[in-house]
Formats: sequence, C-alpha cells, structure tokens
Amino acid sequence: MSEAAMKIIDLHKNIGRSHIIKNLNFDIRPGEVFGFIGPNGAGKTTTIRMMVGLLNITKGDVVIQGHSIKDDYTKAISEVGAIVENPEMYPFMTGLQNLKHFARMSEGVTSERIKEVIGLVGLEKAIKTKVNKYSLGMRQRLGIAQALLHSPSVLILDEPTNGLDPTGIREIRRYIRRLAVEDNVSVIVSSHLLSEIELMCDRIGIIQNGELIAIKDLHEKAETNEYIVSLDVYPVEESINILRKMEGMEILSTDKRIQIKTIKDNIPFLVTTLVQNDIEIYGVNVLQSTLEDQFIEMIGENIIE
Amino acid sequence: MSKLFSLILNELGKIFVLKSTWAMYIILAGIIIVSAVITSTSNFIDTDKTYSDDWKTELQEENESLMTEIEEAEDDPFIESSNMSIIEENEYYIENDVRPYGYHAGDFTMDNLFLTSLISLFTIIVGGGIVANEFRWGTIKQLLIRPISRGVILLSKYIALLLFTLITVLFLIVVSVAVGAVFYGLPAVNPEIVVTRPDGMATSALIWETLMMYGFRTLNIIILATFAFMISSIFRSSALAIGLAMFLMFAGTTAAQALARYEWSKYILFANTDLSIYYNFSGPIRDEMTIWFSTGVIVVYMIVFIIAAWTVFTKRDVA
Repeated sequence: MSEAAMKIIDLHKNIGRSHIIKNLNFDIRPGEVFGFIGPNGAGKTTTIRMMVGLLNITKGDVVIQGHSIKDDYTKAISEVGAIVENPEMYPFMTGLQNLKHFARMSEGVTSERIKEVIGLVGLEKAIKTKVNKYSLGMRQRLGIAQALLHSPSVLILDEPTNGLDPTGIREIRRYIRRLAVEDNVSVIVSSHLLSEIELMCDRIGIIQNGELIAIKDLHEKAETNEYIVSLDVYPVEESINILRKMEGMEILSTDKRIQIKTIKDNIPFLVTTLVQNDIEIYGVNVLQSTLEDQFIEMIGENIIE
Repeated sequence: MSKLFSLILNELGKIFVLKSTWAMYIILAGIIIVSAVITSTSNFIDTDKTYSDDWKTELQEENESLMTEIEEAEDDPFIESSNMSIIEENEYYIENDVRPYGYHAGDFTMDNLFLTSLISLFTIIVGGGIVANEFRWGTIKQLLIRPISRGVILLSKYIALLLFTLITVLFLIVVSVAVGAVFYGLPAVNPEIVVTRPDGMATSALIWETLMMYGFRTLNIIILATFAFMISSIFRSSALAIGLAMFLMFAGTTAAQALARYEWSKYILFANTDLSIYYNFSGPIRDEMTIWFSTGVIVVYMIVFIIAAWTVFTKRDVA
C-alpha cells in the first residue's frame, strides 16, 4: 500500500516510565473514513497528537502523503486539517475572526474559500458572533470549518459528534461521507461512542491500553453472520452439558439465562437437540451481534464509560 | 517572509482585540491628562513663567529670591537643597549663555517619562500572557498544527510583543506632546536645556534628550518583557511570568544597589538595565562600569532568555 494517505509505523510513546502507546501499525487509505475507537484513556488522543506533531514521537513515525511528520513537518502537516480534543477557539473573537486568523497561517486560503467553508458547516448566521456565545455544537462546526480551510487531504477529527444534537450528528455524518467520496479526503474520526461512528466509517481500528487490538472492515458483511442466542431453559446444568458437547457453540454466560454465540445456521439444530434431550424450553431469543457487542466483547464491558 | 508578517498581524490582532488592552490605553491617556491638570494647578512647577530677552537679569533676580527663601526657612534641608540645585542650574544658563524657555509641551513630555513604568507593567502583562494564554485557552493546539515551525510562531509572538511596546511608548509620547501643547503650547524652537550628567552639568537639545531618555526606558521595558515572555513560554503560566517580572521590576535595581560592594554585582542584569544612569546624576553602581559594558551584559542576558524560551517551546510535548 504505497499510496496510503497516512501510514502509522511502529508508533510508540513513553511518558516518564509509562508506555502509553505500544507499537501501532496501520494505514489510512485515500478517501476512506477510518473510525478510531476505544474507551476513554486508551490512547486515541495521544495517537492523534502524535499524528499532528503536537507530541514528540518516542519511536516509530507517522508518514502523511509521503512526508514524515518528524523530519518533514511543514510538508506533512500542510496535508492535514484537524480538531484535537475540544474545538477550542479564541473566545473573545468572532467565528469569522477566528477563521481569518487560521486562514492567514496557511498558504493560499482565499476569502471565497472562507465563505465556502462557513456555508458547508452552516454557520452563516452566527459567524459574526463572538465564540464565547457559541454552544458546543456551534464550536464543533467552527472547528470543522477551521480544519477544512486549506482543503487538506487528511482530516483528523477527535470526537466530532461531541455536543451535537441528533440532527447535527446526521449532518456532520453526511458531510464527512461526502468529503471522503467526492473529494477523496481521508477522514480519521475518533470516538468512544461506537454507534455514532459506525454509520459513517469504512473501517474501524480498535485501540485499548495503547495497543491496536483489531481493524475491522465494515463493508465485509460475512462475519456478522454471528449471533448471540439467549436461552431460558430448565434444567440449566443439563442444558449446559449438552451444549458443551455440540460443535460451533460458544458459551458466553450461564447467569440466569444461558448465552451462547453461534452462527445463524446452527440455531434450528440447537433447538432440536435440546428438545430431543427433554429440556424444557421457555424462551429462545436471538440477538443480532452488532459492532457494539463485538466491541464490548473485545475490550470488556466494564471499561466503557 | 510574508508568512511571518501575517503571523505578526495575527498576534497584534489578538492583543488589540481585547478590551483589557484598550483599557490600558485609556488609563494611560487619563493619567497624562490628570498629570497636566495637576502640573498647571499646583505651584510645584511654575508653568506660567516666561523669560524675556532680558532673561539673564530675570534669572539673577530669581536666584536672589531663592536665596532669601533659604535664609528665611532657617536650616530646612529640603528647601535648601532643592533651591540650591535650581540656583546652580540658573547660573549654568547664565555662564554658558543658554537662554531658558518657560514650561511647554516638551518639558511636559520629559516629565511624563515616569509613566514608562506603567508601560512596563502593561508590557509585562501582555508578554506574560502571549504564550501562556494560548495554553490556557487551549488554542495552542490549533496554533501549532499549521505548516509553520514552532520557532517561527514563537518569533512572531516576540516581535508582536516588541511592536506592542514601541506602539505604547509612542502613544505616551504623542499624547504627552498633544496634551502638553493644549495646556502649555509648543516651543517655537528646539531649545537647549541644562541637564545633569555624572560629571556635572551640560546642555543638550530638548528633543534629542527626550528621545534618548525614552529610548533608554524602552530598552528597560523590553528587557522586562523578554523576561516575562521567557517565563511564559517555559512555564505556561501567565501569573508566574507576570508576578516574577513585576517582582524583578521593583526589587531588581534595589537588590543590585545593595550588592554594589561586591565586584560580581556588576554582572547582575538589573545593575545594567537602565542605561540612563550614564547620562544623569546617579551614575553606575560601580565606577568601572561603562555604557558598553552594560550593553554587553544586556545582550548576553537577552540571548540566554530567548534561547531558553525557544528551546523549551520548540521541543515540548503539547498536551
């Protein structure tokens, strides 16, 4: 994948003695929306800060459109637009003054482009208001506008749906998709709210304790054939013994109800087997295994905030 | 180069968009006007006195009346010393054939030199916040993810701080001349005035003398501002930067004087920051010091401050 928009290579970060980011390796493809998810404190923001050169890289590198952020900072960063953590702007200046301020820091941002960007995020009415009067949602939009000023080829948005109402989230989602599809912009969105990200991403990377534990392509539907089946049966002990002997059944829990993970085709066979063994069946619930479940499963439910 | 110019424009914009900056200028203008009113109404300086072509006789008469005042006051050391210095000055005018003029806008501007310490205060506040505030507002992240190296961003902030200092000093001079002109009128010529140098009295052109003294004070302000700027860049705390710089502003010179008997005291920054000591009666704290020595000491300290700020700012993790 030589034409990756961004390559994260053997990325490590130590702060003091703690090893915060451990050996991240992944590529961001041109024109894809990449979801970067993980519980709070997993290292999403730390990784993003290294991507944009705010943090020194302990080991490894981030290469953006062929330019190393370590050795060729100016060229690498001019390909990037970003919101890191909260979209903080100068509170005592208007939205427009803020945008002009940041426009002056990049090459060739015209006043038409500023107007265009304001239109894209729908801030025309509030643009002459001071930012300290903005709601979090409005600041989020202004943050996105600021990140888009210089038409970057890589857009990094840290928790972009934070503070937006459902309509706002839908708009941002649609807008991010359009950027990726029409303008071939690679977008990296981080979030701890999987459900919001799921709908706009092509791929997601899951990070936990500073390690990338999985990358999932959301267009590959084959794997979602897995279901979680919840059984209300009597007697429980005997049922578990029967299930243990069957193939393709993974027992997840036996607390009150038995939960097993299996593929769809196994479900009729499962019921037949239980009936043949004189198990009393009071209920069979099939829960579709969503990305959220997989996510929780992967990192353990208790860590999610 | 044009990028640096835009950055400086950004920084100045952020300084001057704040209401607190405008408050500084309003306070400064207010104090200038008040000091003009006080100067004209109090009898500490006789602002109505003018001299005719027969000024030598007038000065002699003035000296005689000052002498009688001393005699009448009977051993009042304050009146004696203040009157004696005026008498000496008047005699110098007569001996050197320098014609004195009455009080006018030029003298008023010179008298307002003391207001540069207020500008020191303002500049310390601005300089102490110019980097630290970006951290406080969280905007430092937005500022540093642009295609501009951190060194250039820091440079633009430093230049903006220097420009703010110059603009404010110019404001003080211009408003002083304007207010002085309204209250006392402008002098018709650039008069020679009598000044006290370390080695005795001398004459100097008023405009030149004024600019020189304001120049020395500006340099003093810039040193304090650079110090505040460094602390602000290193510790990201405007309170610490402002507090330390203000402490040094008030205590630095006194401390240097207290330590004057040690030879190494001449290397203390605050023994050297005020170059005007080489042009007024006070002189340097140690006799072997010269204006070039002080300039050298200032340059070394400034380089150290700037390198310290630059090293920390360009290398640090921004979290």
